[in-house]
Amino acid sequence: MIGHVRVIVVSVISMTLLFAETSRAASATPLAQLIEGAKKEGTLRGQWSQNSFGGSQGLAELVAGMNKKYGLNLKPHFTPGPDMQRIMLRLAQEAAAGQPASTDVYMGNSQAIFDAMKANVLKPTEWASILPRKIPSEQGFDPVAPEGVAVAFATTVVGILYNSDLVKGKDIPRRLEDVLNPKWKGKIASTPYAAGFRELAMPGFLGREYVIDFTKKLSRQIGGLLRCGEAERFTSGEFLMLVLTCGGNDVNVLQSTGAPVAHTVVEEGTVLHIRYAGVPKHSQSPNAGALLTAYLHTPEAQAMLWRDDGMDLHVYPESKMKKDVEKVRAAGGKIALNTPQWLASLKGYSETQKELEKILREGSGSK
Amino acid sequence: MQAVLRLPARLGGRFHISPVLLSLSLAPMTVIFVLVTVMFWVSFQRGIFGTATAIYTFENYRELLTDPFVLRVLKNTLIFAISSTLFALFIGLPIAWLAERTTLPGKTLIYTIMTLGLLIPGIYTAMGWTLIANPRIGILNRWLVDLFGFESGPINIATPIGMGFVQGLSLASLAFILTAQMFRAMNPSLEEAAKVHGMGFGGILRRITLPLAMPGILAAVIYIVTIGVATFDIPAILGLGNRVYMLSTFIYLKVHPQGSGLPEYGITGAVGAFMIIIAGLLTTWYGQVLRQGHRFEVVTGKGYRPALIPLGGWAIAGWCFIGFYALISKVLPLLLIAYAAMTPYFAPPSAAMMSRLSFVHFYGMDWDLVVRGLKNTIILVSVVPLVVVLFAFCISWLVVRSRRRVRYLLEFGAFLPHALPEVILAVGALMLALFVLGDLLPLYGSVWLIAMVYVVARLAFATRAINGSLLQIHKELEEAAFVAGLSNFRTAWRILFPLLRPAILSVWIWTALLVYRELTVAVFLGVQDNITLPAVVWSYWYSGGINKASAVTLVMTLVLTPLILVFWWFGRRSQVSVN
Repeated sequence: MIGHVRVIVVSVISMTLLFAETSRAASATPLAQLIEGAKKEGTLRGQWSQNSFGGSQGLAELVAGMNKKYGLNLKPHFTPGPDMQRIMLRLAQEAAAGQPASTDVYMGNSQAIFDAMKANVLKPTEWASILPRKIPSEQGFDPVAPEGVAVAFATTVVGILYNSDLVKGKDIPRRLEDVLNPKWKGKIASTPYAAGFRELAMPGFLGREYVIDFTKKLSRQIGGLLRCGEAERFTSGEFLMLVLTCGGNDVNVLQSTGAPVAHTVVEEGTVLHIRYAGVPKHSQSPNAGALLTAYLHTPEAQAMLWRDDGMDLHVYPESKMKKDVEKVRAAGGKIALNTPQWLASLKGYSETQKELEKILREGSGSK
Repeated sequence: MQAVLRLPARLGGRFHISPVLLSLSLAPMTVIFVLVTVMFWVSFQRGIFGTATAIYTFENYRELLTDPFVLRVLKNTLIFAISSTLFALFIGLPIAWLAERTTLPGKTLIYTIMTLGLLIPGIYTAMGWTLIANPRIGILNRWLVDLFGFESGPINIATPIGMGFVQGLSLASLAFILTAQMFRAMNPSLEEAAKVHGMGFGGILRRITLPLAMPGILAAVIYIVTIGVATFDIPAILGLGNRVYMLSTFIYLKVHPQGSGLPEYGITGAVGAFMIIIAGLLTTWYGQVLRQGHRFEVVTGKGYRPALIPLGGWAIAGWCFIGFYALISKVLPLLLIAYAAMTPYFAPPSAAMMSRLSFVHFYGMDWDLVVRGLKNTIILVSVVPLVVVLFAFCISWLVVRSRRRVRYLLEFGAFLPHALPEVILAVGALMLALFVLGDLLPLYGSVWLIAMVYVVARLAFATRAINGSLLQIHKELEEAAFVAGLSNFRTAWRILFPLLRPAILSVWIWTALLVYRELTVAVFLGVQDNITLPAVVWSYWYSGGINKASAVTLVMTLVLTPLILVFWWFGRRSQVSVN
């Protein structure tokens, strides 16, 4: 009898130990598996715009950092691509045609992630199990996109870009209305895609009626429409301000060269454009892609993102972008977070954007 | 090549069409037909093509026909296209005449100046003119304000005519090459006869020289007008920023929504459908000129003695004209490129900026990417002109010599891709490679897919140049060779090719240069390993890295200039030996 009991006890202890060991091994599996898989893949292909995330230099630095952290020997292979929406479109078409993805990791904005959800392009992933640290929580902000298809890694703050040699002191706009001062007529620009305004027009923010009325006035005030990447049109003095930007991150980079540009956030509030990373289902190196996404959350990668593209994730304690956000909050301004969840919750967003684009494009000053 | 050409079946009779010749002519037509079919397919869709989100609709056509904004865009485009054509001809035509019909010294330099123009991306010409004639920061405007006390700069380059002027400066090189062949191959006997009968220089030019050159001039007009309709870089820099929209920037806004969801390729397909009608009208017009082709045959078996007009002291005036053109269209943008490549950020030239010049952008360049782009560009520049010349020769011979109805189809087919915005051809090729060819013929992401589009897109230019030269060669030369017992291939090789050699050489190098600088298709079809050098430059420029873009452009211009000089030296020697 005692022998039986001993056998049972030993068996239970053995089973418990075995279960504990298996559980420990299983809990380590996702990251370890990714590392093992990435070792076999050898190359990490990246494609985004040359000025996004540091372009080729940015990818090389990130891959060097993750090689060191995870003991890998991956080679970066960067090819500059079009804008974020068009890369997502390309990925969707490649997936539909059974072709390998042209990038192993997708890095882009929330609108593209929203499109990706509809086209079923990105691979659902349990990000919490592979990220190097927990992303601090913030009310109303879920950093993981629905179904885990992507995870947030950086933030940009929408505002006004201006030539700091030609717009100084009291001339620097504090509120949106300040840009309607007659002295700026014909000297300022906006974007053809109504960056910033489309979000400000949503319910709970400045509202559709106010923004459309303001955009009509702005349309008569501006001298032209420029892309967010055309900073040289402002450093040259051709235009004095861009109202509104896609985010002030390029100014952060340009200022390091001594360029006379600056960025300000208006008191009414701002929009936080969130950048996401995810792995295409048809990625040629999915493990390396997922590992890069995880690596983006390390303090060193966040510092690289700031240095190369002037952005980091505003919820991390060391974030420099956080200061801009807190400044707006302290001034009592409203903040909208442009996330896929937020876009999915909106009605009439696309229609409003088209209307705003039309107003800006066909304003009374247009020919 | 043996069956490329079938000579007259009998003297003075109808020309027999070899099946091989016909096949070589119809092969690119098949590709064009497929791409146009895909364009129509795309024009009836919205959503992500090839996926479940795509829907079939007439909405693209409805939007295009009912939007009053489109009408304004078309009006601007028309003014821009006409003014750019006039400016290009005003500059290119006299320079072509000076280079080919006069004793003006330094002709190799003229060709170099005109060729170098194509190496300079239009974005720099546009930016250069922004610094000169922008109402706010233009040097010329500031000077006029200081001198005459105007309230603001009186010159505005950001108007359809202003932009047409800048585009004309860029297109003058094309006008030059498209008409230079005509002047080069022109028999001076009619001019000499007119001179003997007391006709003055102006009268000869008006009543003899220009009418004889008319097919070449019309071909150049048609070609440049369609470029004016589709060109993007100058309207984007000068117009888009100032809300002066052209067809190309309208398409750009539809294809690059940036934030408002999916690109609307369907709209570009619908635009393409209307462009086919315009192409049809232009081809019909050109066809009418060709029907009168015999009136322009100036190279016959009875004598071919190109003679040059002595300029005397007028040579100085000629070089002043060329020099001024070179200064404002080539030297200025090149200086701007060099300046931008060495400044830390882009700002108007000043003493402060000059003190900050450095090579930092050359050190920070992604040379692996540049080499990858260079490799693909070399492949395209080597292969595409060869294929274009082969196809174009076959098509041109059938169009000019044959009396079969198929010639109308060939002429229309060869011109059609030129009339379509290149993004339409690129969309068609993309859909073809992704959803039709797939793994059967894995073209997606390869440089050969880009090559295929380049070949069909450049056929119009090549056939226009070879058509013009073939029109001037009387068929009695081929008939004489046939009587002498030469085979078809030997007749083509011994008679036609030597006479066409200048035209073929020009088509070769200009196709190579157009391929070298082509951007729209390269950017659209570039995936990973098939990126081209212009796409690398564009990637820097588009993303705000104008300084790095300038650095790449400067390096490539410095590398290519000696090569071009060698080529033209070889070309001139070759021409001398022909003459």
